[in-house]
Amino acid sequence: MPEYKAPLRDMQFVLHDVFQAETLWSELGLEDVNRELADAILDEAAKISQNLMSPLNRSGDEQGVSWNDTVVTTPDGFPAAYRELAEGGWGALAGDPEYGGQVIPKMLVLLFEEMSYGANMALGLYLSLTSGAALAIASHASEELKSRYLPDMYAGNWAGSMCLTEAHAGTDLGIIRTKAEPQADGSYSITGNKIFITGGEHDLTENIIHLVLAKLPDAPAGSKGISLFLVPKFHVNDDGSLGERNEVSCGSVEHKMGIHASATCVLNFDGAKGYLVGELNRGLAAMFTMMNYERLSVGVQGLGLSSASYQSALDYAQERLQGRSPAGPENRDGPADSLMVHPDVRRMLLTQKAYVEAGRAFAVFVGQQLDTAKFGSGEAQQRSAGLVELLTPIAKAFLTDKGLEATIIGQQVFGGHGYVREWGMEQLVRDTRIAQIYEGANGIQALDLMGRKIASNGGQNMAVLIQEMRDFAAAAEGEIAEFTQPLLDAVTELETLTATVLSAAGDDPHAIGAASVEYLHIAGLTIYAYMWARMAGVALAADQNDAFYAGKLHTARFFMQRLLPQVKSLAESVRAGSAVLMDIPVEAF
Amino acid sequence: MPLYKAPLRDMQFVLKDLLKAEDHYASLQGREEVTPDLMDAILTEGAKFAEEVLAPLNQVGDQQGCTWSEDGVTTPEGFKEAYDQYREAGWTSMSARSEFGGQGLPPSMGLLLSDMIGGANWSWSMYPGLSGSAARVLEVYGNEMQQERYLPKMTEGSWMGTMCLTEPHAGSDVGLSRTKASNNGDGTYNITGTKIFISSGDHDMTENIIHLVLARVEGAPEGTKGISLFLVPKFIAHEDGSLGDRNGVTCGSIEHKMGIKGSATAVLNFDAATGYLIGEENQGLTYMFLMMNTARMGTAMQGLSLGQLAYQGGLEYARERLQMRSLSGPKNPDGPADPIIVHPDVRRMLLTQKALTEGSRAFLYWILMLVDQASHGETEEIQKEADELLHLLTPIAKAFVTETGLEVANYGMQIYGGHGYIGEWGMEQIVRDLRISTLYEGTTGIQALDLLGRKIMGTGGKALMGLTKRIHKFCEAQAGNAAMEEFVAPLAQLNKEWGEITMQIGEKAMQNPDEVGAASVDYLMYSGYIAIAFMWAQMVELAAGGSEGDAFMASKVKTARFYFQRILPRTESHKLSMLSGADNLMALDVDEFAF
Repeated sequence: MPEYKAPLRDMQFVLHDVFQAETLWSELGLEDVNRELADAILDEAAKISQNLMSPLNRSGDEQGVSWNDTVVTTPDGFPAAYRELAEGGWGALAGDPEYGGQVIPKMLVLLFEEMSYGANMALGLYLSLTSGAALAIASHASEELKSRYLPDMYAGNWAGSMCLTEAHAGTDLGIIRTKAEPQADGSYSITGNKIFITGGEHDLTENIIHLVLAKLPDAPAGSKGISLFLVPKFHVNDDGSLGERNEVSCGSVEHKMGIHASATCVLNFDGAKGYLVGELNRGLAAMFTMMNYERLSVGVQGLGLSSASYQSALDYAQERLQGRSPAGPENRDGPADSLMVHPDVRRMLLTQKAYVEAGRAFAVFVGQQLDTAKFGSGEAQQRSAGLVELLTPIAKAFLTDKGLEATIIGQQVFGGHGYVREWGMEQLVRDTRIAQIYEGANGIQALDLMGRKIASNGGQNMAVLIQEMRDFAAAAEGEIAEFTQPLLDAVTELETLTATVLSAAGDDPHAIGAASVEYLHIAGLTIYAYMWARMAGVALAADQNDAFYAGKLHTARFFMQRLLPQVKSLAESVRAGSAVLMDIPVEAF
Repeated sequence: MPLYKAPLRDMQFVLKDLLKAEDHYASLQGREEVTPDLMDAILTEGAKFAEEVLAPLNQVGDQQGCTWSEDGVTTPEGFKEAYDQYREAGWTSMSARSEFGGQGLPPSMGLLLSDMIGGANWSWSMYPGLSGSAARVLEVYGNEMQQERYLPKMTEGSWMGTMCLTEPHAGSDVGLSRTKASNNGDGTYNITGTKIFISSGDHDMTENIIHLVLARVEGAPEGTKGISLFLVPKFIAHEDGSLGDRNGVTCGSIEHKMGIKGSATAVLNFDAATGYLIGEENQGLTYMFLMMNTARMGTAMQGLSLGQLAYQGGLEYARERLQMRSLSGPKNPDGPADPIIVHPDVRRMLLTQKALTEGSRAFLYWILMLVDQASHGETEEIQKEADELLHLLTPIAKAFVTETGLEVANYGMQIYGGHGYIGEWGMEQIVRDLRISTLYEGTTGIQALDLLGRKIMGTGGKALMGLTKRIHKFCEAQAGNAAMEEFVAPLAQLNKEWGEITMQIGEKAMQNPDEVGAASVDYLMYSGYIAIAFMWAQMVELAAGGSEGDAFMASKVKTARFYFQRILPRTESHKLSMLSGADNLMALDVDEFAF
């Protein structure tokens, strides 16, 4: 069974050496956050994920949550662990300080998230869903709602949930049916059924604050008629104490492929009392503020689990003796050589390593843009806000697609043992798999990227990113050309394809949907090439006798030579256009 | 939950139109003839059994799984009854030799059946599947006593067989196995050791289980050259076929796995169990290889069968699920939204499933014909040619079809959105069940080494030339056929490149032995995509000659076009990756991997 070890050295390398976080934080006016504090937070996060969360991962999977007549019980150890996490302040890292939150930059928070998911994704989800709900409340709710709910959510006494999906309305939220009837006291009476509600009911906290999408009886049709409501499980009295139970109950929990310890609930609202958050009919917009954070966080799930998978696969490959090196025995005294001598096992491990480490750098890069967009000002702020829009769908989809690939490889390195539950590798695959689906399936992310984030503004934000990558390559000199040249080739391909697809979209409504997933992958691979070139730049300037930096350079080379070429195949597929997809009549499938 | 429907139209198309099954079966020697009527009857009846008896047990089997107690392993509810029906209907004896009660049909018929029963319920299908493989080994290598005593019962299905290879420390590296055999001097041996990952190692479906066990005779040479094969029955069989004492083999536990939960994966402890030597001492691996080739084809079939199920499930949902509107205007204006099959990206997923699944069906069925020809071909020359191709194609079939099958299964889940992740919808079970197929019977990495090391380099590229020549001939014959140009041109170009790349890697491998392993998996996938392109090109040729207005034939051409334009370009990145050499893999010191 894998025991999670936080990859602290690489996290610090990315944060401090690649992205110079301390300088950025001081430019953004976050004087209280410096390298010392960041490292202390990372250390503590490592401890809590390794010692508290990781030991409950396998047992949580085996036991799962159980449902009995509206009551949901989480696996043994979860309530106590959640309390300890809450008391440690891990649920309030990025909160509104006026109500008890801490102002920790996202660049740092996401590294804690990576550790928490890598150690125990199901447990980590309860915490991050609560943070997400608190963020939506902090951004859009009235003062009264904020002061009544946020302090206890930040303190971890109450958890949060997001209630969007209904049985017939998943991707298409415009067709939801949950109703909100205005009441004389200014509140609303909420009635309807929601499904797939993560953390919708559980025994971790004394109260749960649901954020619910619903429609007023006279609301406009479609997504323009959706409003957002706060619906507490227990009413909260003026003095902050808990009152009566509200009319919301859990009808059942789903039996899923993975994240068994995370309660995925059917919630029935039967005239539950709710309070409007933000403006009427602006519910989706309010949800979207928090979506950028949530989507990056889901991407980080792919990263955290693939990092955990890589660690275990590497341990196993070093210990498992099987076969001999093609170049002659290396472990003469043993019955066989370790798996590390086999080129193909190395190919698998390096694929994991190259994706994990580029993914970590990419996630921090997106965090940097989120922080600049939130705390910065002027042109820099605007530039970052544009990049956040562009990069969020890539982060969500690419990190989770590569997450599944990496966890499957981890399982493959274990051979038959990878298929057996007690070894833990198959759980990582099952748990990661959901991240490609929820918070907008990856196909939806790709449409968001090409349609809303690129086509709707003529590719403006993509042009900013492309320019940044070109500028980096132009400024770098010497040995780094080995890495910047393939980067530049990929950038040129990305730029050409962007123009090709945008021009085709002029008279073909399907051009974008036909290109989108491959295009997103091309963008992701190009960004990873950029991340590897940046990391290689730092490594080249450092001590090459340090195995850490030597490993970085080798891995950068591996990425450029063996993984980046996927861009060529994907580009050819994009160029095929939409006809080849749309020409087949439905009956002929 | 998707209930399997045998894709009979496509099966018939591939068998009759593409592979000329009628001529094929008429030409085979030494086996009962499969007339067109008989083939239809077997496919129709097999489909019925798969759909009506086995498919309904698929989800139950996953939910209940097998249970272990000291008295043995219990299979999920309904499994034994289904097996009794299967046995009584005579399915276990189909490809068995007639002198032991079998129907003597060619081996391909058994594998065609396994495509259907595997799609309906893979876990269940493993019991008769492995048993058949064990019986084939005995048919070829068992002595008269062993054949007479065990084969009739195995043929009629009242006893089952297993293969016991893996030990905790010896998986891919069978040469390390430690299970011992000491000669009792009376023609029997005492077998002692522990085997793991033994599929159907214990169960309640039959009264006896016949284990084929790899073990090392005392004093045998080290490594793979010192391994012998033994027959170890769970109950000792008397001469008259009645059961005697319980042998010293017990099931210590069963594994808790990601999937195929209805299949018992056993730890077997042999404690001085009585065993009978099969063939000669130290030849065990050679004998096992006979069955491993068939078993590898059986596993390749898992990628196809479950891929088919995932495609059926994905398609059904995509036609029914209403979500959003088509960007070219509503297609279901009276409904609240359009079915998701109007969205280009959903189509991309479905067409990827369809193109890979139908391409793989043609590819695998072609290999099944080669299996028949290799042992029952009309002339020695035909046999030899088929055998060479079979050796080359088997590792590609096993690894490529299971790897792409997993992709197909994951798309099935993805099309369902959140519902794909929920057990009751059945799509995630397909992924879990299929996931084992790239691991067992030799992992993808091992297949790739077998292909590039043994089958390509080991024959100096000769085996590959046999195939590229065929493809070349096909392309030549299409010259001037304008309708085929879009398929033939890229196929001919890749076919040429295939040979060139092989030469390049061969040259590099002479300098550096790590080059083979460094290129192998990319090489295998590259080869697989070309092989499937060859199949699609042949199918297009047939479909183009089909009648106007036949949606089935029209969809073949369009699916082929999708394959050539959107899937086949993957060869390019595999090529670049494998040609990048071994240095980028081998340069890292072990301590540079992680911190």
